[in-house]
Amino acid sequence: TETIKAVVIDGYPARALWVQEFTNFFIPEVDKRLAETGNYKMDWQESYGGSIVKPKGVLEGVKLGLGDIGIVTTIFHSSKLPSQAIAAVTPFVAPDSRAVAKAVDEIAKEFPTMQKEFEAQNQVYLATGVVLDTYQVFSKDPVNSLKDLEGQKVAGAGMNLRYLEGIEGAAGVRGGLTDFYNMLQTGLVDNALLWPEAAKTFKIAEVAPYMLKADLGAVNSKTITVNKDYWDKLPDEVKTALQEVAVAYRDHVAGIAMDRAEASRAAYVESGGTVVEMAPDQRAAWAAAMPNIAVEWAADLDAKGEPGSDMLKAYMAKLEDAGFTPVRDWSAELTQ
Amino acid sequence: MQRPLFVGARAVSKLANWLAITANAAGTLIVLGLILVVNYDVIARGFFHAPFRGAVEVVQFSMVLIVFLQLPDVVRTGRLTRSDGFLTILRMTRPKLADALRRAIDFASAVFMTLVAFAIWPEFVEMFETKDFFGVPGVFTAPWWPIKLAIYLSAVLCTVLFVLKVISRGTPADAQAEHNKTEDPA
Amino acid sequence: MSPIEIGILSVIAIVVLVYLGVYIPIALGLVSFVSILLMRDNFDLAVNLLKIAIGDSVMEYTFATVPLFTFMGLIVSKAGLGADIYQVMNSGFRRVKGGIGMATVGANAVFAAVTGSSIASASVFSKVSVPQMLAFDYNPRFAVGVVAGSSVLGMIIPPSAMLIIYSFVAEQSVGDMFLAGVVPGILLAIAYVIAIFLMGRFTPAYVGGRRMEDGEWMSLLEIADKTLPTLALITAVLGGIYTGWLTPVEAGAAGSLLGLLIAGVRKKLSWRGLWQALLETGHITASILFLITAASIYSRMLGLAGLPNELGDILTETQMSFFWVMVIYVAMMIFLGTLLDTASIILIVVPLFLPLIEPMGLSLVWFGIVTVVGAEIGLLTPPLGISCFVIKATLNDPRISLKDVFVGAFPFALVMLVVLIALIRWPSLSLAILN
Ligand code: NA
Ligand code: NA
Repeated sequence: TETIKAVVIDGYPARALWVQEFTNFFIPEVDKRLAETGNYKMDWQESYGGSIVKPKGVLEGVKLGLGDIGIVTTIFHSSKLPSQAIAAVTPFVAPDSRAVAKAVDEIAKEFPTMQKEFEAQNQVYLATGVVLDTYQVFSKDPVNSLKDLEGQKVAGAGMNLRYLEGIEGAAGVRGGLTDFYNMLQTGLVDNALLWPEAAKTFKIAEVAPYMLKADLGAVNSKTITVNKDYWDKLPDEVKTALQEVAVAYRDHVAGIAMDRAEASRAAYVESGGTVVEMAPDQRAAWAAAMPNIAVEWAADLDAKGEPGSDMLKAYMAKLEDAGFTPVRDWSAELTQ
Repeated sequence: MQRPLFVGARAVSKLANWLAITANAAGTLIVLGLILVVNYDVIARGFFHAPFRGAVEVVQFSMVLIVFLQLPDVVRTGRLTRSDGFLTILRMTRPKLADALRRAIDFASAVFMTLVAFAIWPEFVEMFETKDFFGVPGVFTAPWWPIKLAIYLSAVLCTVLFVLKVISRGTPADAQAEHNKTEDPA
Repeated sequence: MSPIEIGILSVIAIVVLVYLGVYIPIALGLVSFVSILLMRDNFDLAVNLLKIAIGDSVMEYTFATVPLFTFMGLIVSKAGLGADIYQVMNSGFRRVKGGIGMATVGANAVFAAVTGSSIASASVFSKVSVPQMLAFDYNPRFAVGVVAGSSVLGMIIPPSAMLIIYSFVAEQSVGDMFLAGVVPGILLAIAYVIAIFLMGRFTPAYVGGRRMEDGEWMSLLEIADKTLPTLALITAVLGGIYTGWLTPVEAGAAGSLLGLLIAGVRKKLSWRGLWQALLETGHITASILFLITAASIYSRMLGLAGLPNELGDILTETQMSFFWVMVIYVAMMIFLGTLLDTASIILIVVPLFLPLIEPMGLSLVWFGIVTVVGAEIGLLTPPLGISCFVIKATLNDPRISLKDVFVGAFPFALVMLVVLIALIRWPSLSLAILN
């Protein structure tokens, strides 16, 4: 039996859902598969929570060989990993982690773009992780229609600030997840874009007792990657085990995320929150008011010689095949 | 023999010191800019409903510039954090040994700053060629390469200043360091 | 070499180099670099560690609190706010034995809420309160001891550069750390006042001094004039953070601007003075953040060596108790405190102990307060005690030797130790305000 050392890195702490499941699911699963033949055995060193890299440093850490395997939080790297924004630029399609994880992962494997982006960072793409089911709007006062959001201040982060661009007078205020409670409490913002699990963790019901169920959609934010030099030296048996387990991990984590989302919504209501279903015509109005950031995204990739438009079409088709009807068909507006 | 070398060192020393002081002044203005930018964001957001969406990036950017524009001057004035009790005592009893130790320390520091410059240069080249940026497109973005360049130039200047300390006899900067020590951060 | 051996050897190497006089960030960086070379025999990996740590560490948004609070402290010192508070306190305590000492502690506690470092406190109060104590025949050692001891409050009561540094290493929120520092800071101030009272009672000769019979009570207007600017600043900064209106960075910026306004209105600020404060801020920021960057190289090296994992295993195997972990921790901080500055102590010991503390289920916010108070004891202990150095240098009085300052500060270092033990024993002292 040959022993192979693997340093796994993430800047998030061991208690984070995807890190915890890497320890409890990914690693034992790989060990189990390798034990079947007994040719190889992994010697895992798990370094999380900033002991080697910060959350934003995982991509570079794997690139530079400070970690062999990493959980990259892709939303931090819109410049190096532009194609990873695929789910973020297509809101109002699928509020389901499992479906989005599977669709993004298939896009990554059927088109070369995502793998090329990681290869430029000296790493090999293994699988996509989706850890949030869908963004919703959490508010101090009841919000029923798009009109209620006009002229309001809405806390958000990253790409979701752009969802507000079509709403008249709505100002996106960016903040870290840990600041949202305070921002709402002090009236610095009137609403916040969050997913239910985060709302539960940060006790948002205390300061924003109304959740507008807008179902903006699940977003991919994690990717498991392996350092390229390390990968090239791995025996095929280990490579196969890692690739297969990565897909299982993708579905496993997305499943847990959905379960937790359900429980978190219940907890939100239990602690005094009210869930308001957004009327279909209002969702349609919101989606229609937004700039088509999906087309912008595809055009950017097309301009770089990547099949951006085709990826977008394929992605929308995959979700439709999975039974989701988009409120606005982002790919229908493609000119290419 | 010694003379041209000495004149050359003097010129380099003059230039390096001038660069350190200039960079320091630039960094100082950025401190002021930082205060103004953050206050602008607070006021614009709180009273005018118009937050400055690039505030975080601008703050991050200015932190790098403040630190690496000021670092050479910190080195020049001998204010890099150290515990020099042993050196001071040694200087009273074995001045030559103390001087040798001081030079050795400055040499080791020059080596370290060279390593830093060596590590950062390829980063700068890569960022410059790929036009890599941080931030979110459509919200606020800023290029990476000026940051890497600032760190690289700062490390090179620090290396030069440490080398100058190695070859010089107790410099005026050291005397100033003694004078300034009381203002060091705890 | 095992991770534990790397860890121990690197600490020894760093301590020896620092003791020899190597710049602390350089010692941290070089030792880390060489450790990787020894451990992995891979030059590129060692260079890559430098690359990632240097780019990453300074880019932290919350680090903007360092220049902002430093600048605010420098500006309010120039505006004379420390001296004002001291005069008000003094008029209150003037009939008590050791009264000026108590007033100094009280004024320091208030001033601490508007400055981020102990240096500002030490230099302001050696100028305003030591001369007065000497004029009233206080024992010089007692006089300087009080100033040294109470200057420590500057970095326990928020805002505090040390709480910021800890929050970075332990990945805790700066706002939480600030709030957690309030009660322990006040507690330490009260402990000092009690200690001074007891000294006046049982060793009156050591305290010395005579009563101020001549002083008038200050008029309300005068009190208001001398306290309102400081109170306004405290309200804006700590109030802003506490209510969540401002992030710590924004509070620092708002405080700086307010400080500038106050100094401007009082005509205490020339263009030259402003430039010097900005320059000083830049220097302090660069040296602190460069130190943090180097410490981050070091802690990542330990992570790469697998030390945190190993320490965690040892803890589960040996079942080391909370008591012994804390005894070792405090002993190590006091030992390092003899020759290192507070920031370096925090940056060296915290990465070593976090992997032990976190699995025990202890609050990392509480641990931060314990760390900062413990590391600050070193400000008062020889041979390197920065607060004592500052006081000696600021006074520039041949009658008072550095030894006098250290001897005078010693009782206050002991009080700190007692308070530290209380903070360890009762975590709610630090945490209650958060819940
Ligand atoms: Na303070
Ligand atoms: Na000390």
